[in-house]
Formats: sequence, structure tokens, C-alpha cells
Amino acid sequence: MFKGLSLISILLFSFTAQAENWPAEQWLPGPTVTGPAVQALENYAFPLRNDTTRKGIRTDALLVIHDGQLVYERYAGPTRADTPHLTWSISKSLLATVLGVAYGEGLFKLQDPVVQFYPALEKHTAMTMADLLHWASGLDWQEDYEYAPLKSSVVAMLYTRGHRDMAAFTADHDAYARPGQAFRYSSGDSNLLSAALKAIVGPARYPDYPWTALLEPLGIHGAVWEVDATGTFVASSYAYLTARDLARVGLLMARDGRWRERQLLPKAWVDFSREPFAHYRANQDEAVPGGHWWLNRAVDGAAQPWPDAPVDTFAALGHWGQAMYVIPSEKLVIVRYGDDRDGSYRHNELLKLALKAFAMKVQP
Amino acid sequence: MSRRSFIRRRPFSTLLLVLLIAVLGWVWQERVALWAFPDIISAYTAKEYCSCRYVMNNPAAYCQGYVKQYLPTSGFVDDAASKRVTVGGLGRSNSAQWIGERQGCRLQP
Repeated sequence: MFKGLSLISILLFSFTAQAENWPAEQWLPGPTVTGPAVQALENYAFPLRNDTTRKGIRTDALLVIHDGQLVYERYAGPTRADTPHLTWSISKSLLATVLGVAYGEGLFKLQDPVVQFYPALEKHTAMTMADLLHWASGLDWQEDYEYAPLKSSVVAMLYTRGHRDMAAFTADHDAYARPGQAFRYSSGDSNLLSAALKAIVGPARYPDYPWTALLEPLGIHGAVWEVDATGTFVASSYAYLTARDLARVGLLMARDGRWRERQLLPKAWVDFSREPFAHYRANQDEAVPGGHWWLNRAVDGAAQPWPDAPVDTFAALGHWGQAMYVIPSEKLVIVRYGDDRDGSYRHNELLKLALKAFAMKVQP
Repeated sequence: MSRRSFIRRRPFSTLLLVLLIAVLGWVWQERVALWAFPDIISAYTAKEYCSCRYVMNNPAAYCQGYVKQYLPTSGFVDDAASKRVTVGGLGRSNSAQWIGERQGCRLQP
């Protein structure tokens, strides 16, 4: 009788263990999906590529994880499975995830004033960690890239006046609004968070913290994260990961911050990441800001940014078409790297085609 | 001589003078941004080429196309031994240096 029971419990245990797939050193391969829906997705994502004119949709990598298994991947241009690809502003969501681990250690609270961790913000004492995560510092920042280089704060920060100390360059901006009252997308806000993290975890732990806190527990070994001359991670722009490795962060977020048996991020942190910022106004940006992630939510009278994707879809997005979409209800994580120079790529189109090819449920 | 008669006698000179003062005012207001502006193209090219080549490990020929912008650059030097990239443009020169496996490239100094 006892023997029988233990046999049943062993069977039950192995059943539950098998029911949830996690990557080990490599992703587990899932069932290969082929057919016209996959063909349509490839036709959209991988048109004939011209590296001279650089026109049109230029996907470097497309990778799909379904239910913790790798069901699709394809690379183009010079990018391969082992290429740590520039993620641009996906770095912002990565930094937020790293911060989530520090939050879980109890090292800071969302309503803590940032000046407590970064004294250069002495003129902006009301600004909280949550305000920065919402891109609502109230600092008068200009985020244009190529089209307004003279006035662009981000170009000056990355390449000229700000590159030695990006957080100090940001803190030197005047305020245009009270902190927490208005959304204005700002790479500077992300680098203030990065500088704050240095004091939050301490300067001794900081240089390795993204690896020890987040990347290594997820089994990510090859990531690169560039720093400015003060050693502060360029959280706005300069993290590099393979598509396979970035998808591990997506799976962590899809599963509410849990990695196997370990709750790496508190559930409350993931909830905050996916909660729309209350003062965001319709159409201020291409998607709805949460806590340094982008949400597919209908807010302020506007429709969902990506109408063909489920409402629980959220994403990390970067310049030149970098994207990681997480769709918990469909158990999907999609990484798309690109080198789009003309804005012809559409998130909604890729999501629509990927869902047709890989979602198991029927779309409403 | 009254100011009004000067404007009447020299309407175009007056207009040019007003424009010149406006332009000088703008230049003064934007002096910091204007002084930094010529550095953008060489700094951008050096930094993003360095990362393309030594962080992403893409072929040199691909990285040349990857960093190409409308403004011309000159004096491009990719020192593969020290992983240091130097680029000139608009009368300025900038360098980026590969620092290490985890830290990638950084503009110098």
C-alpha cells in the first residue's frame, strides 16, 4: 500500500515536472510548425534584403518560444544564433528586470525618492523610483534620434556632451512638469535608474549585478552591457544578447517572475511592470507605458496599440525594430531583432502573423 | 537723423541687420549644442562600428555599411590588434575602444 502510494506520488511528481518546460543549457526543441501561416510570417519578416539601400523590413532574427519550448528560429544578414545582438531600448526593460531582483531583496521601494540613491538629483527631490520607471521624471528631455540632432538629448548623451557620465547629463536638465504627472519617453530616465542602482546594491556588487542577479540564474552567459566612463550601465541603449538568451527573460516575465522553483522577481514587481501608467494620454507613444515595459492596453479612450494581439501582450521595444513580445495567455515569447532604417515594420502585423502560425487558441 | 528715416532709406539693410541679430542671439543661446554638434558623426561612427565589429562580431565590410550616414567621414582607422576604432568627420575626430568581454566598447576619453 505504502509502496503503491509512493509510486503514484513519483508518477505525479514527474508528470507535473514534465508539464512545465524550462530551458537548461539549451532551449528544448518543440514540435516543428510548418504550413502557409508560417510561410506568410516569413514572407513578411524576411523579404529580399538589401544591405546597401537598407530599405524595407530587415529582420536579423526571429525566434518563437511556445510553452517554454523553441518552436521557430531563423536568422538573416550577419546575425546568427550566437550573435549578441544590440537590443537598443530593450535594455531599459532589462534594467527594470534587474531592478526587480534588487526590489525583491528589499533594497528599495517604488516610492523612494531617487535623490536618496543619486545625490546629483538635488534639484529634483520629489522624483521617485516609480516616476522614472514610468518615464515620468518631468525632466525637459528631447528623445529624437536622427531627425533633430541639434536638439536631441539622447544623441548628446550617447555621443557628445553626455557620454562620459550619462546620468549626470540627464540630472542637469530642467524640469518641465512635476515628477509623476506626465509621460515623456526619456532615455535619460533609464540611465538615472541605472545610476541609482549603483547605490542601491552598492558599488562593490554593481559591476556584476546584472549577471549575478538576473542573467546567470536564467542561464545567460554571453551578454554584454556597455558602461559609460563612470562605470554606469548604459541602461537606455547598450545591452547585447543573443535572441535565445533574451527569450529567457521573456519566459521569466511570462511566468510572473518565477524561474523554475525560484521566485526571482516578486509577483508585485511584475504586476507593476504590466500596470499602465495612470497619467499616460492616448497616442503619446506607439504603445502604453507600464513599469519600463510596453503594454497592449486600451487606455484613455484609445484602442489597443496592437489590435490583433491579446490584451495581455506586453513588450520590450528598441530602435531600428528590436522587439520582444510576451503573450502569457498564449504561452508565447517572440524575439524579433532587426536593422530597420525606414519605419516600415509594424508590430501589429508581425504579432498577427505570428499568432496565426503559433497560437494554439482560436483568436477572437 | 531719426531711426525711422534710416529704416525708410535702408529697408533691406535694416531687415538684414535684424536677421543677423536674431541669428546671433540663437547661436548664443544654442552655443553648447552647436559646439558639440560636429562631434556627432565621428563619435557615432566610431562607437557603433566598434560594437558592431567587436561586440556583435559582425564582418568588417558589413559594419562599414551598418554605420553609414548621410554625412561623410574620413580617416577611418580600425586597429584590430587593440580593438580601437578612430573616425574623423566635420573637422573632429573620435575614438572608441573595446574594454572587455562584458563591457563591450566605449567612446574615449
